[in-house]
Amino acid sequence: MMNTPTPLVLIIDDEPSIRDGCRQALEKSGYAVLDAEEGDEGIKIARDAKPDIALIDLKMPGISGMEIIEILSRDVPDMVLVMITGYATIVSAVEAIQKGTYDYLPKPFSPDQLRAVVRRAVEHRNLKIETRRLREEKERMEKSFITFVSHEMRSPLVVIRQYIEALKAVAGDRLDRDMTEIIERCGARIQSLETLVEHWLDISRIGEGSFAWKKEPLNLLQLIGRSTEEMAPICEEKGILLKTDLPDQLPEIFGDQEGLLRVFTNIIGNATKYTPENGRITLTASSDDYYVTVRISDTGTGIPADKLPFIFEPFFRVKGKEERQRGSGLGLTFCKRIMELHGGEIAVASTEGQGSTFLLKFLTHMRSEQTMDHSATPIRQF
Amino acid sequence: MTAKKRILLIDDDKDFLFATKLILEKGGYEVFLAEDGKTGVEMWKSVAPDLAIIDMMMETWGEGFSVLSKIRAMDTGKDTPLFMLSAVDLQGPYNSFEPPPEFPKVNAVLQKPVKAEDLLGYIARELGGKKMS
Repeated sequence: MMNTPTPLVLIIDDEPSIRDGCRQALEKSGYAVLDAEEGDEGIKIARDAKPDIALIDLKMPGISGMEIIEILSRDVPDMVLVMITGYATIVSAVEAIQKGTYDYLPKPFSPDQLRAVVRRAVEHRNLKIETRRLREEKERMEKSFITFVSHEMRSPLVVIRQYIEALKAVAGDRLDRDMTEIIERCGARIQSLETLVEHWLDISRIGEGSFAWKKEPLNLLQLIGRSTEEMAPICEEKGILLKTDLPDQLPEIFGDQEGLLRVFTNIIGNATKYTPENGRITLTASSDDYYVTVRISDTGTGIPADKLPFIFEPFFRVKGKEERQRGSGLGLTFCKRIMELHGGEIAVASTEGQGSTFLLKFLTHMRSEQTMDHSATPIRQF
Repeated sequence: MTAKKRILLIDDDKDFLFATKLILEKGGYEVFLAEDGKTGVEMWKSVAPDLAIIDMMMETWGEGFSVLSKIRAMDTGKDTPLFMLSAVDLQGPYNSFEPPPEFPKVNAVLQKPVKAEDLLGYIARELGGKKMS
């Protein structure tokens, strides 16, 4: 049992014998008791003293028990309400519970019945408060974890990479090939850990609503151009043909240039990991009045049908543990969140052994002005 | 033999200071370290370096900027090359440093971690020394 102060019980009942009876029974069991003979007085006492429990007679002259229940469950939300009634019908019990009472006590009742109900009500209250405290704690931790990760995890990674740079500068000419390779590999692993932290932070920020993004009119052809330009060297290095087959014009879309660029480079980058030499990655686009659709197809290994539904999940890997750790495991999750932030969609189709196609669907500028401003996604701009 | 050029490095991370000092010394510079902004400004006065590298984000965000303003406000700091270091969100341009027009001049903004050859290259460009390989 938690070490709590004496629970305070308020009795609102117009019958003096009930008030006195309850008071005696409860005080004997160690409760503190307040009472009121009618509703308005009871509400005033409840607002001032904030008792733990209120026992409320349903049928009183003046303001009715139902009304009291409604007012108190709104004004003193932590207080647990128990109704007392001489006319315990199912209908009134259901109504009272819908309005926020926890339990009911039919008249006549014995002191033992009263104490049992009040004891349960106190336990319920403690749980309610504990639950809320934990939920607040969880929200606080989630928030501060973002800050924690960005400062406390990133700075040591930065320093380790700086040491690696220093080591190369100080001893570079004295290191043999194996040593150099060890250092390079350490650097690469640190860097992928940094990428993971970055991706994770971005995803958390999107979820929390603090991801900084600009809404501006964008030309997707230009964005696709930038992304293929950025990805061309890696495709060339891997002997993969990166080509585009695009219309001369596409309707403007509305969104964040850098965020969407990362969506494109992420998906193309992914494709390069699963497409063999001499393979092909192709970007095509089409549009109607409402949507611009971009397809990014590869001739790679493809994704098994049973794995397809999960590929946007954080840290999901198509080949499970056997798969070499090739990326942060958060790239596609990031893409999905960014697309959702824009009111767009991302989808994938794949045939094992033949390749995969990622489909990005954007609202056109006109369309997105209508929908995005009313969307529930919290949008903060910096 | 000409005297070594002097570089003042201001950063609140001891390890970052040490690692960067090794790189700078390898580049042939004499290096002075300060672990906070206040010490940095004091050392600027006593050391009179040829160049300073200042972390943007020390104990408090923006401390680097205040150090920069103080140094630029001094006669000895009006024209000296000053670099800012930033570890603020590397991805995307959102939080990269864009000084407002009235802001004191920064000769370069370097992202942490900074590659040894890049660091020495930027410094050589400012100090006119030859780049160390």
